[in-house]
Amino acid sequence: MEFFDNLAIGFGVALTPANLGFAFLGAMVGTLIGVLPGIGPIATIAMLLPLTFHLEPLSGLIMLAGIFYGAQYGGSTTAILVNLPGETSSVMTCIDGHQMARQGRAGVALAVAAISSFFAGCISTALIAGFAPPLAKIGQSFGAPEYFSLMLLGLVAAVVLAHGSILKAVAMIVLGLLVGLVGTDGNTGGTRFTFDIRELIDGIDVATLAIGLFGVGEVISNLSRPEEQRSVIAQKITRLWPTGDDFRRSWRAVLRGTALGSILGVLPGGGATLSSFAAYALEKKVSREPSRFGRGAVEGVAAPESANNAGAQTSFIPMLTLGIPGNAVMALMIGALTIHGIQPGPQIMSERPQLFWGMVASMWVGNLMLVIINLPLIGIWVQLLKVPYRFLYLAILLFCAIGVYTVNNSSAAVLLAAFFGVVGFILMKLDCEPAPMILGFVLGPLMEENLRRAMKIASGDPMIFVQRPISLGLLIAAALLLLIVALPAIRGKREEVFQG
Amino acid sequence: MKRITLAFLSFAVLVGGSVAQAQDKYPFKPIKVVVPFGAGSATDIVIRIVGDQMRHELGQQIVVENKPGAFGILAIEEMVKARPDGYTLQVGNPGTNVLAPIIYKDKFKIDYDKEVVMVSRMGEVPLILAATVKDFAPKNYGEFIALAKANPGKVRYASVGVGSNNHYDTEAFAQWAGLKLIHIPNKGGGAAITNDLVSGDAQVALVNAASSAGVIKGGLLKVLAVMAEERMPEYPDAPTLKELGYASGKGLWSALYAPAKTPPEVLDAIHKATVAALKSAPVQEAFRKQMIKAVPNLSLADAKAWNEMEVAHWRKLTETVKVEKPE
Repeated sequence: MEFFDNLAIGFGVALTPANLGFAFLGAMVGTLIGVLPGIGPIATIAMLLPLTFHLEPLSGLIMLAGIFYGAQYGGSTTAILVNLPGETSSVMTCIDGHQMARQGRAGVALAVAAISSFFAGCISTALIAGFAPPLAKIGQSFGAPEYFSLMLLGLVAAVVLAHGSILKAVAMIVLGLLVGLVGTDGNTGGTRFTFDIRELIDGIDVATLAIGLFGVGEVISNLSRPEEQRSVIAQKITRLWPTGDDFRRSWRAVLRGTALGSILGVLPGGGATLSSFAAYALEKKVSREPSRFGRGAVEGVAAPESANNAGAQTSFIPMLTLGIPGNAVMALMIGALTIHGIQPGPQIMSERPQLFWGMVASMWVGNLMLVIINLPLIGIWVQLLKVPYRFLYLAILLFCAIGVYTVNNSSAAVLLAAFFGVVGFILMKLDCEPAPMILGFVLGPLMEENLRRAMKIASGDPMIFVQRPISLGLLIAAALLLLIVALPAIRGKREEVFQG
Repeated sequence: MKRITLAFLSFAVLVGGSVAQAQDKYPFKPIKVVVPFGAGSATDIVIRIVGDQMRHELGQQIVVENKPGAFGILAIEEMVKARPDGYTLQVGNPGTNVLAPIIYKDKFKIDYDKEVVMVSRMGEVPLILAATVKDFAPKNYGEFIALAKANPGKVRYASVGVGSNNHYDTEAFAQWAGLKLIHIPNKGGGAAITNDLVSGDAQVALVNAASSAGVIKGGLLKVLAVMAEERMPEYPDAPTLKELGYASGKGLWSALYAPAKTPPEVLDAIHKATVAALKSAPVQEAFRKQMIKAVPNLSLADAKAWNEMEVAHWRKLTETVKVEKPE
C-alpha cells in the first residue's frame, strides 16, 4: 500500500514538535497578514527568506506553505467582510460572501469558507498522496493547444457567470480582454495601450484591477448612499454558525469545487487561479435556483473556497516536480528550496521522499491549524463590522493602497487601482458585473498567447486543436456548453440561468 | 519573529536616519538594494545570499526591494533618483544593465552611461543548451545541428521574451551555427521556458543550469552543450560552446551597481564589502549548491573595464544579430 506508506513517511516528519511549531507559526502569520492586506504574503515571505537559510529545508518550506494558505484564508475573510479580495483566488468569494455579510450572515459565510477549505484540503491531500506521479504527467502533457482550448472553455463558462443580461456579460468579458491587452505583446515585443507610460509596459497586475474594482468601487458606492444606509450590515447579525440548511445546500458545491480545483491546480502556471472562477460558474450552472447567486447564496462561497484551496494544494505538484511556480509565493518557495541545493524535478519524490511527503502531510496539518485558529476568531471579525463606516472606509482604502503598492513597490499601481475604483463604481451603477471582466482579463491574454504559439507550432494549421486528444476533449466540452445555452428546447432553463 | 522585528526596526532607522546626515562613517544605516525582478528570482536570490553576508562585513542590514518592470528601467531609475550616498544600490544582469541601456535607450529618463557605475560582478550561472525529449530525436549537439540544418525554419526555440538577452544569445548562436530557428517567446521567465521544453511547445533553449537541473536529472530534458568557460562536472559529456568554436558564449551573470555620483570612498567601502562577502565561506557554499560561480571584480577599475568590454560585446551583438526588434 504505497498510499499509506507515503502518508506514513509524510506524517512521520510533519508531526515532529518542531515542524508542528513551524506549521502553526506559518498559519498564524499568514492569517494575520491575510486579514491585514497591508503586508502581502510575498513581502512577508521575502522578509523571512533569509531565516530559512538556516533552517532544515522541510521546516522552512512548511512555514512558508503555512503563510501561503494562511494568507489565502485571510484574504477570504476580508473579501467576505468588506468586499476586498486579498488575493485573486478570493475574487469570487466577494460576490456572494459579501452579500451574506450584508444580510447579517457574515459569521456563517466565514464558517462555511473555513469548513469548505478544510474539507477540500483533506481530499486533495489524499489525492496527492495517492496519485502524485500520474497527476504530474497530466501537467507535462499540457502544451499551447491544450491551454488554448482550456481558456476557450473557460470563456464560454464565463458567460454563465453573470447574473444580469447576457449582453452585459459579454460586454464585460470583452472589456476585461481589452484591459488584459495593455502591455507588451509577447510575440513581437510591441507595446499596446501603454500611452508611453513605462509602468504599463509589463501590463496591469490582476491584484490592482481586483482591489480597484471590488474594494475601492464598493467604498465609493457605499459613500454615495445616505449616511444611515452605509453600514456594511444592513440587517442585524442573526447567527454565527451555519444552519442545517446551509450545510445541505453547500456539501455538493464543496465536492464539485474540490474536484475542479484539484484538477486545475495540477496544470503548471496559473491553473489554480482559474479554479475558483470555474467552480463558481459550474455551481451556478447546475443550481436549480441560479437567481440566488450574487445575492448571498451559501453555495457561492462554498464552491470557490473549496476550489481555491484544492487548487493551491495540488499546484504544489508542478512546483515540486517541474519547478514551475503557480504564483509569486510559490516562486519564493522554489527560491527557498534552491538555496538548500534542492532542485525541483520529477525525481524529487523518489530522491527526497521525506521532503515531498512531509510537505504533503504538512498541508493537511496546516489546514487543520487554520480551522483551529480561525473558527474562534469569526466572532471577533464580525464585531469589526460594527465599526462605524466613516472610520471603516478609511481603513479599507488605506489597506487597498498599501496592498496594491507592495505588489511591485509601485506608486503608479495605486493610482491605477483608484482609477479602477471609479470604473468599478460606474459599472455598479450600470448593473454590470465586475466578475466576468476579471475573468476576461485573466483568460484573454493567456488565450491569445497560446493561440499564436499553437499556430507557430503547427506552422499555421488550425487542425492542431482537434488532432491533440486533450485539446479536442476540451473543445467538445466548450461546444456542448454553448449548445446547452443555445438550445431552444431548454430556453426556459436558460432564462432562469441569466435572470437577475 | 525576531527577523521581522529586526526588519521593522531597520525600516524605522532607515526613515529616521536620513534626518541626521553623514556625521558618522559609512555605513551608519541600512542599505537598500533595488532588484529589477520579483522575489525568488535568480538575481534576487543572489543578492539575498550576498547581502546576508555583507551585513557582517558592513555592520548594517541590507534591505532588498523588488521593483520589476520596464526591462529593469524602473529599478535603475529608482536608484539614480535617490541621493548618491551609497545607501541605495541596485543589482542587475546583462539584460537590465547592459542590453536595456542599448536597445531601450529612449525609454530611460536618465543618461545611463553617465549616471550608473558597476561596483562588481557577483555571480555567474552557466547556461545550458537543452533540448526536449518529446517528439525530438537529437540526443547530442552534433545530432541537433544536423537535424536543424536539414530542416531550416522547423526547429523551435524558447526565450524569455522578444529583445531579451536570452533571445539575442540564442539568435547569435544560431547565426554562428548557420541555423534558422523559430522563436517561441515566453514572458514568464526562466522556469516558464523550461516548462515550454518539457511540454514540447519549444524544442531547444538556453536555460539556467541551476533551475533546470532537477528537470534534466528527471530525464525530461537533454543537455546538448554548455555555455560557460569550462565543462560542468554535472554533465561531463556535454561540450562547451567555446570548445565547439563559439567564442562569445557566457553564462548568466549578476552585478552590483551604484549611482555614478557616489563619493569614491563610499564606493570603495561597498566594493570591499562585496568582494569580501563573495569570497566568504557561507556565500561560496550557498553558491556552490546552486551552481553559481562567484566572480568578483578585484578593483573598481577592473569592474569598469569589464563593464566596458561587456557593453562593447552587446553593442556588437545588437548590430550584427538580426532579431524581430521591438519598436
